[in-house]
Amino acid sequence: MKIMEIAIKDLTRSFRSLFAVGMTIVAPLLLIGLIFLAFGGAFNGASDLPAISVGIYNADILTDTSILVEPLGANIRSMFVDESVQSWITATDFSSEMSLRSALDRREIGVAILIPVDFSERFLAGNRDTQVLILSDHTLTIAPQVAQNMVTAMLDGVSGGGIAIETILERQKIQGVQPGPEQITSLIDRYSAWYRDFQRDLFHNPESAALMMVAPTGETSSENPIQQMLGLMMAGQMVFFAFFTGAYSMMSILEENEEGTLARMFTLPMSRTTILTGKFLAVFLMLVVQGIVLLIAAHFIFNIQWGDPKMIVLALLGQVVAAAGLGVLLISFVKTSRQAGPVMGGVLTALGMLGGLFTANMNMPEAFNRLAAFTPQGWVVRGWKIVLSGQPASDLLLPLLVMLVIGVVMFVIGAFRFQRRFA
Amino acid sequence: MNAIEVKNLKKSFGSFQAVKGVDIIAQQGEILSLLGPNGAGKSTTISMLSGLIAPSDGDAFIMGYSVTDQPKSAKEKLGVVPQDIALYPDLSARENLLFWGKMYDLRGSDLKQRVDEVLEMIGLTERQKDRVGKFSGGMKRRVNIAAALMHKPDVVIMDEPTVGIDPQSRRHILDNVKELNRQGMTVLYTTHYMEEAAELSDHIAIMDQGKIIAFGTHDELIKMVGEQTRIDLTFNAEVEAIIPAWKEIEGVSGIDASDGKVTALVDDSNQALPRLLEVAAQGGVRILSVDIKEPNLESVFLHLTGRALRD
Ligand SMILES: Nc1ncnc2c1ncn2[C@@H]1O[C@H](COP(=O)(O)OP(=O)(O)OP(=O)(O)O)[C@@H](O)[C@H]1O
Ligand SMILES: [Mg+2]
Repeated sequence: MKIMEIAIKDLTRSFRSLFAVGMTIVAPLLLIGLIFLAFGGAFNGASDLPAISVGIYNADILTDTSILVEPLGANIRSMFVDESVQSWITATDFSSEMSLRSALDRREIGVAILIPVDFSERFLAGNRDTQVLILSDHTLTIAPQVAQNMVTAMLDGVSGGGIAIETILERQKIQGVQPGPEQITSLIDRYSAWYRDFQRDLFHNPESAALMMVAPTGETSSENPIQQMLGLMMAGQMVFFAFFTGAYSMMSILEENEEGTLARMFTLPMSRTTILTGKFLAVFLMLVVQGIVLLIAAHFIFNIQWGDPKMIVLALLGQVVAAAGLGVLLISFVKTSRQAGPVMGGVLTALGMLGGLFTANMNMPEAFNRLAAFTPQGWVVRGWKIVLSGQPASDLLLPLLVMLVIGVVMFVIGAFRFQRRFA
Repeated sequence: MNAIEVKNLKKSFGSFQAVKGVDIIAQQGEILSLLGPNGAGKSTTISMLSGLIAPSDGDAFIMGYSVTDQPKSAKEKLGVVPQDIALYPDLSARENLLFWGKMYDLRGSDLKQRVDEVLEMIGLTERQKDRVGKFSGGMKRRVNIAAALMHKPDVVIMDEPTVGIDPQSRRHILDNVKELNRQGMTVLYTTHYMEEAAELSDHIAIMDQGKIIAFGTHDELIKMVGEQTRIDLTFNAEVEAIIPAWKEIEGVSGIDASDGKVTALVDDSNQALPRLLEVAAQGGVRILSVDIKEPNLESVFLHLTGRALRD
């Protein structure tokens, strides 16, 4: 009874804290929301998809001081000439605006894409007047729209990327990490590389691309590759923030120690084990609440189809136990709540990266996947991948077992250390 | 049965002995003050009484229950007001009291009623929905006390409950202590303000450097100073260098100085005062004021230790 009341008190305090709610629930949704919005443009559009003949004149060049490695124009062009779209787009390069226009007039091409000289710089500077010009044969209706959508999706992605990177930097700042300029550049590089891959996946296969173009936003379809990708990214974010939540909730014991309320509890007629158990229970409850809220919110906001409810419960169980275990263990090594921030930020971000939480939607090299198996996060996100892809329950057994075992072992060690320290 | 009985209680932190064998007895229904300067070992003694730290030696009994052998029973009889505010700043005053009440096994309407009662007593009924973090120091102190009273304990231990607050809140708290005592609670009141000890206590224990150096009623303690008189002097400059010379003077049994202020305990002020001033003049400082006073608890401490009991 008292155990429960201590835990409820902790939950109440967490939900009163803007920072806690922000970091446990709002941040993961916001990050996915940004990506969702960034690529939302790709959902709308044409109702069927004939072969398209596209002509491109790309005049975009970079200035010496540009932060980009490649002009945006080249990115746009590569979308249309990429081998993954060759089965339904035939793209031809033109060397001047004039030759491009005359090819359109002669109906050699259906759509003309004209990228102006200083497009990259002006676009990045936020100047939206400078546009990629899309001209088309007036007898065609769908093809220019598809081209338009592809260009828009690409550019939205670039803008969204800017926001995403700012968000990452903000988050690092909260965690006490000051990113240097070279880190920012590497973030941008990483983002653009990821985005290029994403674009490839998006148009990799004309059937699913067509399906995607056809499906209006919000329509349920677990085969929808964007939804699948969002699901994986959401899982990655959820796992990252779950581990953050585990450690953050446990941190309240350090705060209570500093606030003197822990000492006050120790003067009450109940055992110290009861008090510690209440604090531990709060960590588990917080993780359960967070997991449920995120799963439901992601389903309704982003239309993510998580999969079989029984599998979801199992994966969530593994996530809660593993995140609570690591949280308790981690904080048991920390002396003061001031130390806890940087320790949590550092350890959890490092483990999260190793565990592949930020690359959940990508195909990573085998070595990387093996490395991920050394982190609890890696196992939890592996569990979610299995659930999301609708694999049979038996596939989840091993990851779940690993999550539970690592989680319980870490928890027991951490709890033992707290018991020694406070009781 | 005594409400509090402390027997040869000791506590060492490493090689440092913070409490060196303390004996205290508080009868049921009385207010006992534990008076002592900073670092005397008051909080350490209280921490042992409240089961927060284990004694290195000795034992203490709350309403007959040993704090080492029957901690749960002892704690049930006891309410502890910690020296530092121990509340949840992000919960309201009422929520804090509800939580601490639940920790004492109060439930339902009993709990609500008790919360109303203590809020009324500390005069914060109107502010009960505000978060404690937004309260003034004095208001926090009052809630800090209320939290220890939720279960109507037989014995309340308060560790310097009036430190650093405005006179109005202090008055409120002192009145609360008297009221609690009227209701039958035994109070162990720790302070380094001798006026508080003088006003509240049935008995006073003076503690210094881990030991109880005097115990008795206010009047009994004052008598220890005997026929001595206290002289307060103010000078225009630092006087630390002159202290040894002053101590040499016959009939001066204690002297303490800081900045330009000096308190001296003397057998006969007529004889001692001229000598004190003479020595001061030799030391090159000028007298600004002289005040001859009745001895008080401050004088007792000076008499016993040769030092002042200071804030
Ligand atoms: N946990 C500890 N470890 C080491 N020394 C301690 C510890 N707690 C207290 N002490 C020391 O024991 C002595 C007595 O401290 P205590 O807090 O009991 O004094 P106090 O009488 O309550 O003083 P104050 O009026 O400043 O509250 C001090 O010298 C203090 O530094
Ligand atoms: Mg103290």
